[in-house]
Amino acid sequence: MTFAHPWMLLGALAALIPLLIHLFDRRRPRPHPFGAISFVLRSQRRTASRLRLKRLLLYLLRTTILLALPVALARPELRRASQIAAASRGPAATSIILDASVSMRYTDGTSLFEKGREQARETLRDLMPDEPANVIVCGRSSSSPPSPTFDRSQLRAIIDAAAPTFAGTDLNRCLDLGAHSLEESSVSGKRLVIISDLTANSFRLSLPPPMVTGPKGEKIRPDVVIRDAASGRQTLPNHGLVDLKIEPALQLGPRAFQFSFTVRNFSPDPVKDLEASLKVGDQVVAKGFMDIPPNGAAQKTLRHRFNAGGVLTGEVLITPDNLSPDDRLPFVITVPKDLRALVINGEPSTVRYRDEAFFVEAALNAPGSPVRQTVKDPEAGFREPFDQYELIMLLNVTVPTPEVSRQLVDFVSKGGGLFVSLGDHVDPELYNKYLGDVLPRPLRLVRTSVAPEEPDADRKAAKLGKIVTEHPIFSLFTGRAREGLMSARFYRYMLLEAEASGTTSSEVLATYEDGAPAIAIARRGQGRVLLYTSTVDRDWSDFPIRTSFLPLMQRFSAFLCGSLEEREELRGRVGEPIVLAAKAQEPVGAVRSPSGAELPTRAQEDGSVIVGPLEEPGIHQVLDASGRPIPALTFAAVIDPSESDLTRINPDELSAYFGQEGVVKGASDTQQQHRVPFWSWLIVAAAMAFFFEGVLLRK
Amino acid sequence: MELLNAQTLSKLAGVKLRARAVVDGVLSGLHKSPHQGQSVEFAEHKEYAPGDEIRHLDWKAFGKFDKYYIKRFEHETNLQAIMVLDGSASMAYQSGPLSKLDVAKTLAGALAYLLVRQQDAAGLAVVTGERFSDLPARSAAGHLRVVLDELEGVGARGTTDLFGAADHLAERISRRSLIAVFSDLFDDRPEALKRILQLRARKNDLVVFQIIDPAEITFPFDDHTLFLSMEDERRIEVNPREIKKSYLEEFATFLEAVRSTCAEADVDYELVRTDERLDAVLLRFLARRQERRR
Repeated sequence: MTFAHPWMLLGALAALIPLLIHLFDRRRPRPHPFGAISFVLRSQRRTASRLRLKRLLLYLLRTTILLALPVALARPELRRASQIAAASRGPAATSIILDASVSMRYTDGTSLFEKGREQARETLRDLMPDEPANVIVCGRSSSSPPSPTFDRSQLRAIIDAAAPTFAGTDLNRCLDLGAHSLEESSVSGKRLVIISDLTANSFRLSLPPPMVTGPKGEKIRPDVVIRDAASGRQTLPNHGLVDLKIEPALQLGPRAFQFSFTVRNFSPDPVKDLEASLKVGDQVVAKGFMDIPPNGAAQKTLRHRFNAGGVLTGEVLITPDNLSPDDRLPFVITVPKDLRALVINGEPSTVRYRDEAFFVEAALNAPGSPVRQTVKDPEAGFREPFDQYELIMLLNVTVPTPEVSRQLVDFVSKGGGLFVSLGDHVDPELYNKYLGDVLPRPLRLVRTSVAPEEPDADRKAAKLGKIVTEHPIFSLFTGRAREGLMSARFYRYMLLEAEASGTTSSEVLATYEDGAPAIAIARRGQGRVLLYTSTVDRDWSDFPIRTSFLPLMQRFSAFLCGSLEEREELRGRVGEPIVLAAKAQEPVGAVRSPSGAELPTRAQEDGSVIVGPLEEPGIHQVLDASGRPIPALTFAAVIDPSESDLTRINPDELSAYFGQEGVVKGASDTQQQHRVPFWSWLIVAAAMAFFFEGVLLRK
Repeated sequence: MELLNAQTLSKLAGVKLRARAVVDGVLSGLHKSPHQGQSVEFAEHKEYAPGDEIRHLDWKAFGKFDKYYIKRFEHETNLQAIMVLDGSASMAYQSGPLSKLDVAKTLAGALAYLLVRQQDAAGLAVVTGERFSDLPARSAAGHLRVVLDELEGVGARGTTDLFGAADHLAERISRRSLIAVFSDLFDDRPEALKRILQLRARKNDLVVFQIIDPAEITFPFDDHTLFLSMEDERRIEVNPREIKKSYLEEFATFLEAVRSTCAEADVDYELVRTDERLDAVLLRFLARRQERRR
């Protein structure tokens, strides 16, 4: 507050008059003997409390009058915290940079962005009439602003229309854009106004500070005004979901998954009993509570078994805090669907465990298996209509007739899955002849590593050597699960012909120790074929009695039917583009964000599509050319976990970065601050006090 | 008549002159009245008994009834009146030419004058604090001077003690009397007035003249004032303007309470302001009594 005529404030001493009169008024009242004094005493008693209150009010009102009048005559003015001109020495072209990062969504009743918006408006109001300006709403992908202008209404409209993003921001880039735009103004002064929550991750102090190139090519350091949208708060406590890992929970069944997520606490206080929940679709399916130490992290795992397969969406939620966007983490999960499989048993037996299909049947019948199987002998099996099945399993089957073989090839080419396991009934030459079009590689001959009945057969038997664990089929077999796979013994197996050089039509997922393929896969037409070079009963191997056999058979089945997700879970990050591996037969038509906005897409030469940059977190729908969703490409977008860290930057560091002289953080200027006349209110107060004093005196 | 206002009376030295002036005013008023006073008036017949005055035999009645009847007249039962004067210190208050005590003495003297003039007996009882001085009621013309001299000597002191006055009168008055009380009735004890009104219950004719100074009714004070009690050590410093409304309410309530209490006790009550014409007060009083007698 300042005063136009400060010497008038001496008159405020008059406010002491009522007090002095009260203290020092020793006038002797006129004594008056009075006959009816009893009535005087009674009246005085009756009115004493009211009179005391009245006297006090009168004292206050009179003091108000005597205080307000001289203060009003001194012409006081309130000065708003306008730091603009503080660093200015004359008019300056001004670039107002409003931070629109996700951290500006932090709210304690009013969001930091709204406060920042108001500060931007104030900044605009505080500008002198001869100061041009422009506004940069600083998000992840801000573009160069137009030249500074005197059109205040246009700038106000930009500020009014600004909205916070869900992405982080690069204030250095915006400062450079702002500084560059100031070069176009003829006004000699240059000023950058930063309105931000000043979180440490918004600035990269390792980069050079913004500079303006003068008309002669000289570098000018602009004045920098920093307006703190967080009003100088030391910390902005926040906790947020920073990581989510989704893995199958085999122990709970084939369609069970575990969701392991990490919550970080970016505050000096611990977080107790934070509620975390797992939501699939619109339904909360699991809940838990977490304790997180100060400035620490905690991990929690929630599990859920899905009843149906398909591409499902959901999110992990924690109790919302002041920054809510990081309190939910969306995901897309592909759950295996039910499969119909025709199992053709090449060596049926009345002794169950000698039956070729015994172990396969048991594996696919296990509780929770996505496979519904029909087991037939070759004669009956080959008469079945293949198109009623998604998967056909040939277990040590004598090669079918040419006609059936053609049907099988046709079945695969139309998208069916074919599993082939070998054995004594398999004639490599006939297989190559009739089924060579679908087999990953031609069969060569059977190799025996050791006879099973030999005393040290277990030691001499072949084992698996190399496994492609990156492939979805084997992605589960890590750690102890891998041991169950590697301990299998193979006494006999089929060697395969080498692939013709330069062709990659098949892929070997597992080999024996000698490098011979154990499991090979190939795409044939729209379908898939998997060749297992040993037996699925105990004739050539003890693999069927190993713990890994059951899940592996189920995954073979799922893979062959295309229901096993082969891609990594597709999760994009807000502010960045995402690449979709679109199929040629299902071209991407459009991508819609959770709010329904259509995102820009760009097709690549390899058929993939670049989408984005993504603008908001949540589930994004991918539509084909006819507007139908492509579930397999549905993906989730999450915010940058680093944006959850609201650690504030040290103001001194900023001052040092921008240059101590040019930086203004607080209001101190006396020349151009926004003035609010205050004296008129004092006059009103005095008049009201005078009025009420009169009213009181009349009572 | 115009000369009988308070201003004029105050210029007359002594109760005798003032009382006489008031009585003259009253009498001139009475002559104009159609209700002239009759002090000797036939009242009833009484059968003759030895010792009765022969001159009062009604010969006409003897002619009619052949029996001797004696005529009895009212003047034979002389009225005994006692003027009770409150001589407490509060009666000395005056905001105008006459104090309440002056007015009380003048009214008492005038009333005594009127009574003696019609051959009634007039006595005096002066209450000053706890002290009482009495003059017995007599109808002799010379007694009037004694009463007036006594009134002349009354000075205001002590507290108002209506309780004591009532007890004293009850003890002293043996026959039915007219008791005229001249007081401001400023006795803080709630039952004091009722006590004095109980004299009415003993077949006495009771008249209360409440003498009030106009300043006590209107409370015309403006400046900061230290009010001092005239009867004791009480004092209070107040801004009169602040309490005026409350005071006026209190005082009006007090006057109304006195008036209604007197009415309930079938006692004549006259509120007398010290700035009032006293002959008008007496005429008002006499007219009201005449009205009641009818």
